[in-house]
Amino acid sequence: MSPKPHLRLASPAPDLVAGGPVEFNELFARYGQYVARLASRLLGSGDTEVDDVVQDVFLLASRRLPAIVDMIQARGWLATVTTRLVARRLRRRRFRSLFLASPRGQEVPAPGATPEQRALLRRLYEVLEGLPTAERVAWSLRYLEGEPLDIVAAACGCSLATAKRRVSAAKKTIDEVFGNA
Amino acid sequence: MRDQMWTSLGEKIEPVWAPEREDAVRAAIARRATRRRAVVRTAIAVASTGMIAVGGFALVRWQSAGPVAAPSVSSARAVPNPAPAGGAGETVTVTRLSSDTVLAPLPDRNGRGFALRAGGARFSVPHDPDRPFVVAAGDVTIEDLGTTFTVRYLSADRLKIAVEDGRVRVRAGGSDSEVPAGATLEVPISPVVEGPRGEPQPAAVAASSWRPLAERGQYEEARRALRKAGPSAVRDDTADLLLAADAARLSGHPAEAVPYLERVLRGHARDPRAGLAAFTLGRVLLDELGRPSEAVDAFALARSSGGPLAEDALAREVEALSRAGDVTRSRELALLYRRLYPNGRRAKAVSRFGGLD
Repeated sequence: MSPKPHLRLASPAPDLVAGGPVEFNELFARYGQYVARLASRLLGSGDTEVDDVVQDVFLLASRRLPAIVDMIQARGWLATVTTRLVARRLRRRRFRSLFLASPRGQEVPAPGATPEQRALLRRLYEVLEGLPTAERVAWSLRYLEGEPLDIVAAACGCSLATAKRRVSAAKKTIDEVFGNA
Repeated sequence: MRDQMWTSLGEKIEPVWAPEREDAVRAAIARRATRRRAVVRTAIAVASTGMIAVGGFALVRWQSAGPVAAPSVSSARAVPNPAPAGGAGETVTVTRLSSDTVLAPLPDRNGRGFALRAGGARFSVPHDPDRPFVVAAGDVTIEDLGTTFTVRYLSADRLKIAVEDGRVRVRAGGSDSEVPAGATLEVPISPVVEGPRGEPQPAAVAASSWRPLAERGQYEEARRALRKAGPSAVRDDTADLLLAADAARLSGHPAEAVPYLERVLRGHARDPRAGLAAFTLGRVLLDELGRPSEAVDAFALARSSGGPLAEDALAREVEALSRAGDVTRSRELALLYRRLYPNGRRAKAVSRFGGLD
């Protein structure tokens, strides 16, 4: 049974006009929080690392503004860039953990969660840490972010079949840990 | 459903995105963008400087290795010296200084002589006393004494000679002068008789006078003309006597040069060129005629004249004494050389001939 996707990428804000010029300040004001939220869900870490990702994404965006056609396209472009930067950061984190003791990261920010939900999130990210990065990112986009598979494939830069396979592989491990009730 | 549970759990993950945090991130992005622009500008500046330096270096290398080709001379580059001193592969390097330079090799000089007809050229020449390198420009002749020098037409009737290293002897208007390193000399110039293709016509000139031939470095023809004309063809002045001596020794007849040089020393001892005549006589006697005892006197005379030749004259005097078998005097003068010229360029040879090693 597939979850009901939120379709955030497919449903832009109604006030956006296709083909309009993209200004950096407007782009940041509109999508800064979105990028921070997406990075936080994919990373499962606190504010400092999230802010670094937001900086990286918008620094890149500031250089690529001419390539961003309009504010509607910008959201998908930012999602893809954020996903790839987070994936790169996760791979570096995993590589460092081979040589260094993993620093205890900040807890993922979930202000509206109950204590039980916080505990579940902590356990979930512990399991995700053990998954291959590509599978982790695909599963996180699909279930934590609620994106449809075609958007997951686009954000991960892979085919739909590959995206399905990655999501499925991660789901299998997670279901084994938490049980498929 | 557990899948639905993960989605609703994901919605709980929401970083606090307050205006202060947004401003802080925006300011950090601006700082990083500024820093990045500075780094890019610096990298471009460094790369540009490097490219300019490499380009300049390549240009200098190209200019010194392969000058601009001119139709009149195709071989005026690094001209191999057929008989280099000491057997090493020394070369004469000729570099045109402008595209309008017209330079032609002198006949029978085996790359050791050029006629400069226009523009300017730089010559870097290993000295060979047996085969001096000459540059003829109109009626001016420049002979190297182991040097790097530049010859350039300032106008159709004026020539500039600049010496970077060593010395040259400039023969212009019937008189000789030496130009040391770092000095320049400007001399008036008159055109020489040339054939229809711009080449010197030795045969035509030889019938009338030996002088133009010798001044152009055609020493063999000059000597023949001189012998044909008889002893009266050489005037009793220093320039003419030196020119006649050059025609004799540089055409391979050093013994015939001795009387001319001795006439300079006897009749024009106060002439500033007397020291040069004495030094040349010493070289002829020592190097070409194997008469070291007589060479000692000639070098001593050259040394007493002072001037830029004094150091060389003292060194060659040590050598001549050594070859003449006067070990004691040779050692004394070697010690004198060491005291007068502690960093002299001939110190090694002096020590060897003076028995100081």
